[in-house]
Order: sequence, then C-alpha cells, then structure tokens
Amino acid sequence: MISALHAIALNGGAPRVIHGARIEHVCGNPGLTPEMDQAHARQIVLTACAAIQTAVTGPTLFEP
Amino acid sequence: MAEAVRVFHFVNQFFAGLGGEELANAAVQRRDGSVGSGRALQQALGEHGTIVGTVIGGDNYMNEQRAEALSAVRAAIQHWRPSVVAAGPAFAAGRYGVACGEVCRVATQLGVPAVAAMHPENPAVQLFGKEMLAVPTGQSAAGMQPALAALARLVLKLGNGQQAGSSEEDGYIGRGIRVPGRRALPAHCRAVAMLHAKLHGELFTTELPIHPTEAVTPAEPIADLSQMTLALITTGGLVPKGNPDRLNAAASRVWYRYSIDGLDSLTASDWDCVHRGFYTAIVKENPNYILPLHVVRQLEREHLIGRVYPWFFSTSGVGTPDSYARPIGQQMAAELEQAEVDAALLVAT
Repeated sequence: MISALHAIALNGGAPRVIHGARIEHVCGNPGLTPEMDQAHARQIVLTACAAIQTAVTGPTLFEP
Repeated sequence: MAEAVRVFHFVNQFFAGLGGEELANAAVQRRDGSVGSGRALQQALGEHGTIVGTVIGGDNYMNEQRAEALSAVRAAIQHWRPSVVAAGPAFAAGRYGVACGEVCRVATQLGVPAVAAMHPENPAVQLFGKEMLAVPTGQSAAGMQPALAALARLVLKLGNGQQAGSSEEDGYIGRGIRVPGRRALPAHCRAVAMLHAKLHGELFTTELPIHPTEAVTPAEPIADLSQMTLALITTGGLVPKGNPDRLNAAASRVWYRYSIDGLDSLTASDWDCVHRGFYTAIVKENPNYILPLHVVRQLEREHLIGRVYPWFFSTSGVGTPDSYARPIGQQMAAELEQAEVDAALLVAT
C-alpha cells in the first residue's frame, strides 16, 4: 500500500506500507518539473517493488 | 458560583468555517475565544466553562507538517494556560481525528487534561488507544448536538480537576484500562445472570466487549518480479470522466473495475476523481498521482515487472467503516486470486 498517511495504514495492519508523497498527490509531486516528477513517482513505485520482494512479519514501513 | 473552567479548543479548517479541502494545508492559527463548532461547544458549556482560545489546523498540515504543527499547538496551550483541552468533534474524519489525538497528547505532556470527540471507528481511536480520552459521536456532523453535550460534560469534569471515571460512567469510548474495584455481586453470580439472560433471549451487557482488528498475515515475498502479474487498486475515487457508475464520493459500500488495457498513462480528459476526503484538483489534472500507471507501464516495458492486470479497481476510501471496507477487500481479493494476479499495488489517499 502506498499512502501519505502511513501511520494509519500501519495501525490498520497493512503489512507493506510505502510512504507516499502527499495526501493530495500520493505518487509524485506537481511542484517538480515533469521529468523530476516522473522520476519521483518511479522511486515510489520501485520502493513498492522492493517491498513486494521483502519478507515481513507485520506492518512495515518502506521509505522511498 | 465557582469560576468558569478555562477551555482550549482545537478545530480543523472545515469546522472552523475557513473552508474545505482547498484549505486543508492551512497552517496552525490562533484565535481568542471560540470559533466555528467551538461556538456551539461554548453554548453546551454554558456559564460553567469558557473557551479562552482556539487553534485551527488544516487537516493536511496537521498530519504532514506534524512537528511544526504540534510545536505551534504547544505554544498556544502555554499561552492560554487552560484547565482543560477539548478537540473536535472529528466524527469519522480520519485526518481530523488523528490531529485531535495529537493535540490531546501534547496537552497531556504539558500536564493539561484533554478530551476529544469522534466516531468509535475513527482510525485515531485505534492509533491513540489508551492515551486518548474521546467521547463517541455519530459518523457525521448530523450528530453535532449530542456530541457537544457529551464533550462538554467531560470537559467540565476534567477542567474542575476531577479524574475521569469509568467509560460507562462518563460516556467515553472504552480504552481497555482496568481499574481495580468492587462490584455489588461476585463474578460467578454476574456470569450466571448473563447466561440466564442470554438463554431467555433477554438483553444483557457484557463486561468484556471485544472489537478485534483483523490480523493480516503478510503475503510471502515474490523473488522474481519479471514474471509477476501486478494489479493496481486505488481508494482515491478514480473514475472514468462523468462517473458513469455514480461512485459515491464518501462512505462507499461498492467498488468498480475499469479497463486500463492498452493505456500508457491516465489523462485528465478521460478520468476524474470523486472523493470527499481531500482536495482533488491536483489529481483531476493528473490522475496518475493516485494510480501510477505511467510508471508501472515503464517498468513493464523494461521487463522489471511481468505484466499489468488489465483492470484496475477503484473505490472512494473516506468515512468508510470497517464493516463496509471488509466485503470490498474480500471481493477484490477473490477476483485477483481467480485471475492469478501475484501482487497488488494499492494507493490510499
């Protein structure tokens, strides 16, 4: 799960939580140039991919 | 007559009357006296209590700029020196509830008793657990009057230097704290009386209410992503332009699947966002912020991931009680399992 409200996600029991950018733009940042924004989103999704490859025993936060 | 209790009130931008989601990033502001829903709280307090000061905090600001926000709240409490802090009512609003919990925590650290008001399923109730005293409210502001009456009662009690009694006695959400004491009858007599009532189909009150949160067993990791099928899910209320299925913008009991087959990314001209829990203008311009299809396609082309499931799932996750969310999750999981999807990426706003 990618969420900017990671504390709620972890408390709700989501095993793999990726810290999203902001509530209003979870996967990216409109304040960046389009190229930087895309790179930022890619970093978040790659963190999610790494999380999928990681064994966890309970709610775990992954920082992009 | 005893001196009126000095009350400090915390309210979000919406219930302060500043504005909705467009002002959710508003930084902490101080106001003398009561503001917005605080005015109605002042009425409920009557002459027994006075709201000496109010802090207004934007929902996003309180959660995202936590350190700055809480330091401003701390300074405001020290400025007004209240006898008690009141926060909310936040009803079922998650960000507002969490902000109320944080404000109560700061007050407690400063030695000031604090009480919030919110729906028992507000995520803050679980998050703050034993730390937070909160009176229960309905899901929405329709329950404002009874919520404020209950809040005012406990505010005055704490503000007068009394300790909170049991949750039954003082009408707050039970925190699972056991206080040793004596009951009129010993346990075995009470247990037999309950069993008797149950067998006769009569009402009885359990002494041990259990509200379990579902334990989620983490899925096994996937070693080779280049072979996997990945599904995308969002609780951000993403729908095709025109919202053909009429997805609710809040408290949805349903979800929909939409095709992303052949799409490289999501465009503002074809997609829309219906969600009452955040400022949606940014996502309406670029829906990829709540469903990163543009990046996932890139990874698919680079063979870093196998393939993307051709449907994404959408609902609007806001004011959604567990009882609504559980069947939604079960139905989504059933489809993914049947379609042999290996992993899902869920974006929660």
